[in-house]
Amino acid sequence: MSDQNVQRLPAEELYQRELEALISAESDPIPTGWRMSPRSVLTYITGGTTVKGVEITPKYMGSRRLVEVAIATLVTDRALLLIGEPGTAKSWLSEHLAAAVNGDSTKVIQGTAGTTEEQIRYSWNYAMLIAKGPSPEAMVKSPVYRAMETGSIARVEEISRCASEVQDALISILSEKRLSVPELGLEVPAVKGFSVIATANTRDKGVNDMSAALKRRFNIVVLPAPADLETELEIVRTRVEQLSAGLDLNARQPEEDTVEKVVTIFRELRAGATLDGKQKLKSTTGVLSTAEAISLLANSMALAGSFGSGTITPADLAAALQGAVVKDEEKDRLAWKEYLENVMKKRGSEWLPLYRACRALEQ
Amino acid sequence: MDGPVFFGVRHLSPGAAFRLRQALDACRPQLILVEGPSDLNAQMHWLCHPETKLPAAILAYTSEPPVRTILYPLAIYSPELQAILWAHEHQTECRFMDLPSGVMLALGEAQPDEEEPEENTEWVYRQIEQLTGEEHDAFWERNFEQVEDWKTFQEAVNAFGAQLRQTAQDGKQRTAQTLVREAYMKRVIQEAVEGGVPPEKIFCVCGAFHVTGLRENQPMTDGELAALPQADCTATLMPYSYYRLSSRSGYGAGNKAPAYFELLWDALHRGGPGDLSGLYLTHLAAAHRRAGNLVSSAEVIEAMRLAQALCALRGGRYPCLNDLRDAAVSAMGHGSFSELSVAAADTEIGTRVGFIPEGVSRTSVQEDFYRQLRELRLEKYRGLERQQLDLDLRERLHVKSAQAAPLDLRRSCFLHRLRVLGIHFADQLPSRQEGANWGEYWALRWTPEVEIEVVESSLMGDTVEGAAAFALKERGEACTSIAQAAVVFQDAFLCGMPADARYALSVLQSLSVDAAALAEVAETATRLSLVVRYGDLRRFDSAPVVPLLEQLFLRACLTLEEACQCDAKAAPTITAAIDQLNRLTLEHDCLEKERWLDLLRRVSDRDDLNTLCSGFAMAALLERGEANEELLARELSRRLSPSVPADLGAGWFEGLASKNRYALITRLSLWKHLDDYLSALDEPQFRRALVFLRRAFANFMPAEKSDIAENLGELWGVNQNQAAEALVGELSQREQEALKELEDFDFDDI
Repeated sequence: MSDQNVQRLPAEELYQRELEALISAESDPIPTGWRMSPRSVLTYITGGTTVKGVEITPKYMGSRRLVEVAIATLVTDRALLLIGEPGTAKSWLSEHLAAAVNGDSTKVIQGTAGTTEEQIRYSWNYAMLIAKGPSPEAMVKSPVYRAMETGSIARVEEISRCASEVQDALISILSEKRLSVPELGLEVPAVKGFSVIATANTRDKGVNDMSAALKRRFNIVVLPAPADLETELEIVRTRVEQLSAGLDLNARQPEEDTVEKVVTIFRELRAGATLDGKQKLKSTTGVLSTAEAISLLANSMALAGSFGSGTITPADLAAALQGAVVKDEEKDRLAWKEYLENVMKKRGSEWLPLYRACRALEQ
Repeated sequence: MDGPVFFGVRHLSPGAAFRLRQALDACRPQLILVEGPSDLNAQMHWLCHPETKLPAAILAYTSEPPVRTILYPLAIYSPELQAILWAHEHQTECRFMDLPSGVMLALGEAQPDEEEPEENTEWVYRQIEQLTGEEHDAFWERNFEQVEDWKTFQEAVNAFGAQLRQTAQDGKQRTAQTLVREAYMKRVIQEAVEGGVPPEKIFCVCGAFHVTGLRENQPMTDGELAALPQADCTATLMPYSYYRLSSRSGYGAGNKAPAYFELLWDALHRGGPGDLSGLYLTHLAAAHRRAGNLVSSAEVIEAMRLAQALCALRGGRYPCLNDLRDAAVSAMGHGSFSELSVAAADTEIGTRVGFIPEGVSRTSVQEDFYRQLRELRLEKYRGLERQQLDLDLRERLHVKSAQAAPLDLRRSCFLHRLRVLGIHFADQLPSRQEGANWGEYWALRWTPEVEIEVVESSLMGDTVEGAAAFALKERGEACTSIAQAAVVFQDAFLCGMPADARYALSVLQSLSVDAAALAEVAETATRLSLVVRYGDLRRFDSAPVVPLLEQLFLRACLTLEEACQCDAKAAPTITAAIDQLNRLTLEHDCLEKERWLDLLRRVSDRDDLNTLCSGFAMAALLERGEANEELLARELSRRLSPSVPADLGAGWFEGLASKNRYALITRLSLWKHLDDYLSALDEPQFRRALVFLRRAFANFMPAEKSDIAENLGELWGVNQNQAAEALVGELSQREQEALKELEDFDFDDI
């Protein structure tokens, strides 16, 4: 199973040692269907301690209280809805919660405009259906179906991108906790421990707004963008380290001040003002999330490792920054130019190499 | 040995209050001693009065300035109050045992300026917060409020107090004060024992922090008692509000969620701390519904389950406020607190305001306030309904007694004094008739907050007038600009307090030496002018104001020309100042008219000033009849010649057109000239000029516009109705497009 050549391992395999340590050290009561107590789940997510000689790394670095609310929701067998801007670690948190609770974060439905009701409930292996008629063997169970059968957690990503009727298929499942298969005359009851973690993007608001009836079945946790520069720096640094180890990038870790510059630029453009609040800035159409900052740095590392000296140079960074900030609109280009001239240029010698590299790209 | 019973409490803690009553029921003491100033025992009687409604506060303040105060807020769930009530119900003697308020105030005064290091108990609280990862309030709630029998509670709290005392190292001064207080309390206990009460029948209610001190320290000796400083002070009982309790943080002074604590107090009487979750969440849901939102019972149930799960995650028994609120946000508020914030404010803070029955020892300001309400026949306005009061400041000639004649004037002064004191009993409404200075319109409304504000103003003086004088003086001393001083002066004038007005005037005078912006000088002079003109109405001798008015006017004249060299952004403020000053010269003969007219002519003539100002000066001259047709024609052709940049020319016209429009409209020659000018402009210049002209005509009335249309019609030989329609009617699509094109025009440098 745990083949190291897989591009991306699911959380439960990547953090297997931590999970096992927590399970073996368990001393609190464990809810039905769970692998560890809610408190251990909290420890797994927020990290920062050592259990049985295994260091538990922090997975989510925002407010601890929000994680508590999320876990407590799952304890009460209510469905959990994580809402936030893109890149605020919604899916990340949902994956780790499922990994810690069930040791299985792979029962996922990715919500898209093309998601159908069958993908939420069940569909058929049509060859077999035609050959043998409706039978349990011919049925293709959805992740939600499997989660109900096993009493575990199913994840629905980007639920607000699904069409409303598809979203509403979840209502009966969440309120009745049963799924009926009329073709086979079956009523599948959810085994204790079944729950759903859904994520939704605030930028998608208004695309397919969730119905009040569906919303009512969720406890909602809003994940904010990182509160301050320090937290965001910490997040970016750790994630870049983890990511680059997994991707075998032959480059050195970015320097402290490189990370700080990227995070500063992102935060300032996101907020539309400089960090000290003294200068207003044009904001960009892109979200410039923390996740983007992470992938930007990993990208620069890839550039540096494959084509450069192995150390991220201002030129690598400039190219990546421009790509991230200026999506495709002229407006973004203007905002970026203004930022370069009005803010970055005046930041003094430390920023000068980056400024020059960015300028060079502009011309 | 059976000593006195020490029951440590936390101020404003429902759990402590509830357990305290149980402890009292069990112990049946003969004497209850409560931590509180021992000279204020008389206030206890009023706290037990059936008409008294809590929250209330005992306020002690020094009689001499600088005024220092101590405040003891009490809510229904205060342990101290419940001890007093229990004693009242069981006919048991009850006394305060802390230092008399005068000594407390004097001790506080001893080293008022010394830098007090951060309070060390606060430091301990923060350590606890770091350890538990929760606010100190939540820690307290989980570990103490939810304890279910009084013995455990007593032991837990006393132990906590003792530990706190060991860990915390307060600053020197604070420690000394604590020791003095404890020695005094110990002495009171000892005196009681000597008075024949068996020690085990004495029940002491004090902060948990003091329990160890009271057990171990020695009582104060006679010599020490005599050496204590004393300050003259007065104390009163005043109504208080939950809002005030919640807005003051700090131990004993208040708590963040008074209404929530009252719910806890109710829950304890129903079935225990476990009942609180349901109470809180249903109250919250009800408040949320009142605010026009939809909450289903199912959501309330889910919130309750979530709160319990959250609490279990923390290892608590019953959810505390944080658990409940976070659960409600997630299950009822769609994840954002802002959705629930109104309901949460209602459920956690609440709007309860206390009431103190008539006859309670009132502060002298209260006495004075109520006496004046009676005398000025304003008592009928003491209601929760908002009522309007119209005042006519002119003397009433038809009434007989001399007292009644200026009744409305006296009312006005009184209401203005309240306004100055920040007592929100009366709001002044804008005048309905321009220039009718004899009329004032007020809206009066009595709220319990007003009572609190009245009591608070007793810190500033003994009567409403005295307090207002003090407030005005303080404001006068704080003034840094003439505009501020002018406001103080005007307030003193409106309050009918000549002495204070003179003081404000002297402040104004000394400040006027410093440079000030033209607009500020003009504004100040206008305020003074009002006083000079209408001083008689309020029986105010305005003679001393005149020299200052002249002085300010002169100053304005000297700086005006320079001020007119400004950019387009500043120009409107300058023209406003010119207008104000112009009006002053018309209203006061004492101001040098000739100097002003000369100045206006210069501003109008000069080419290097902002053209808006020059145009406005021309308009002022025209209005006063100081400019003839000939001059106007000359200026028109000079200012509106094609060689002058279009924005300058149009700016000048805008200035000219902002005054006495009818005089302009009737001058046909002017429109002829404007027409010629516009026809002479080339396309880009016309576009620039158009922007300014549009602005100049933007605030003309429709009637004025049609008059202009008539003029133009006459000039062009067009039917006047057609022309008027073109000017007043809606824009056609083509015109709108043309205007849209203008939007690309670069307005930045205009």
